[in-house]
Amino acid sequence: MWEGRGKTAIAGIGYSEITRRPQKPLGLLAADACRAAIDDAGLAPEQVDGLATYPESPFAGAGNRDGEDVVSVAFILNHLALAPDLRWYAQIETGMIASPLIEAVNALIAGACEYVLIWRALHRPAPRAAGASVTAASRGAPRASGDAQFLAPYGCASIVQTHALAWQRYMHRYGATRDALAALALNSRRNANLNPRAFFHREPMTRDDYFNSRWIAEPLCLFDCDVPVDGCVAMIVTTADRARDLRNPPAFIAGYGQNTARRRTLLYYTLDDYMACGGSLARKLWSSAGLGPREMDAAQLYDGFNPSTLYWLEAAGFCAEGEGASFVQDGRIALDGELPVNTFGGSLSEGRMHGMGHIAEAVRQVTGAAGPRQIPGAAAVCAIDGSPMLRGSAIVVTRDP
Amino acid sequence: MTDNAKKPTPVADDLSRPFWDGAKAGRLVIQRCASCGYYNHPPRPFCDACLGRELSFAPVSGRGRIHTFTVMHQRDVVGYEDEAPFANIVVELAEQPMLLMVANVPAADRASVQIGASVEVYFEDRGDAVIPQFRIV
Repeated sequence: MWEGRGKTAIAGIGYSEITRRPQKPLGLLAADACRAAIDDAGLAPEQVDGLATYPESPFAGAGNRDGEDVVSVAFILNHLALAPDLRWYAQIETGMIASPLIEAVNALIAGACEYVLIWRALHRPAPRAAGASVTAASRGAPRASGDAQFLAPYGCASIVQTHALAWQRYMHRYGATRDALAALALNSRRNANLNPRAFFHREPMTRDDYFNSRWIAEPLCLFDCDVPVDGCVAMIVTTADRARDLRNPPAFIAGYGQNTARRRTLLYYTLDDYMACGGSLARKLWSSAGLGPREMDAAQLYDGFNPSTLYWLEAAGFCAEGEGASFVQDGRIALDGELPVNTFGGSLSEGRMHGMGHIAEAVRQVTGAAGPRQIPGAAAVCAIDGSPMLRGSAIVVTRDP
Repeated sequence: MTDNAKKPTPVADDLSRPFWDGAKAGRLVIQRCASCGYYNHPPRPFCDACLGRELSFAPVSGRGRIHTFTVMHQRDVVGYEDEAPFANIVVELAEQPMLLMVANVPAADRASVQIGASVEVYFEDRGDAVIPQFRIV
């Protein structure tokens, strides 16, 4: 077990409005979420002396104007009045949103700072921005350069196609069908209907709705894709001792893991890496926390595209390789099931917050703050972000240190 | 209807020029490491397997199998706006496990696309460039 287990905690969470029709630029939504997280923790802004984020756009080519497309450490540093002499920051470009959280945990344990503000702000880019690294020519056809030169001439440069290619292969390999994805999407929607912040809070979904929805990239349909939104989620992380003196019950950070496996192909990410890459994260997650998948009272598993949740169930050891499609059936992943999954609605139904929504829900569950979605007695919950064949980072939070 | 004039054409760079020149000459060539024999695609300034710098382009058989496939229905893919739904396959070349290339699929082959199907390369003239494609054999 890791010596840092239970020495840090998440002490506050703040949300901006999460919306398809933002009334203000992303930087101001981020400021709303950051202020809300500081308030929720019961801190004064000047007590915040550390900053960390993962600022990346949802895909390459989606723009990087600070405060409009992304919200960097520099933006928050320059626009929020926090500690007059901030002590520490980190801006992480690998893994996903749990990665800056992991950096913050390490910084807190090292005594580099006392209260770290973490945020993830996401902008919904214009649809045509999806043509990454493709530029119009003054005459003739558009031009594809960089890695896109091997993809865009074939019309195959988008992330949804990459995920469709992987899921096709999964179905072929294990004999799975779309019934598995339907079960996951319906579970997320039912949970979102209990989550007032969720984009689809008021919209129920039936099995027919799922199967009648339009294809995006076959075999993935509309409801296999997360909801692109504008918004920001922020949180405060501090040492366990300091967290005990704050307003909320602390969500102790028991352990963490990152994907450090070597991928077998670098142009695409392929299904064939999901067990090795996801497993490399899971081994570190469970061994640091001294807990395993059986001890989790719920699992918040990344679902930027629906199949990722299924891959994580297997790669993190909740079920065996190839058994995810049957595992998600028969109510096993429902709120009252054996392993409640994405109890807040996931990115599919709450909105695309790139894993931050998953961490926030893990915190709410172990601190008894999940309202109608509360898993009775939840003591340990994991939040795993990323797609296992590409990247990922994860934490386990616990009710007790 | 296919309108190739609107589809993106590859911009050859110093690393990829031999690949595209090969295609223009009707040959599929892939960058290979002289030290360890690993095929790198896309081409790299160093070998992905051993970081070797001695790299050259070697002809390959142009044969492989369909690793996976998808049918895109969105109408926002640059150059393919009027073609959706259209199919993509990923081909695993015979020379090396996980040596993957993306391609389209001839209309006549659409119904027989399946994982594991054998394919062979052919070359499609896009005006400014010639690009490798694969058909089912």
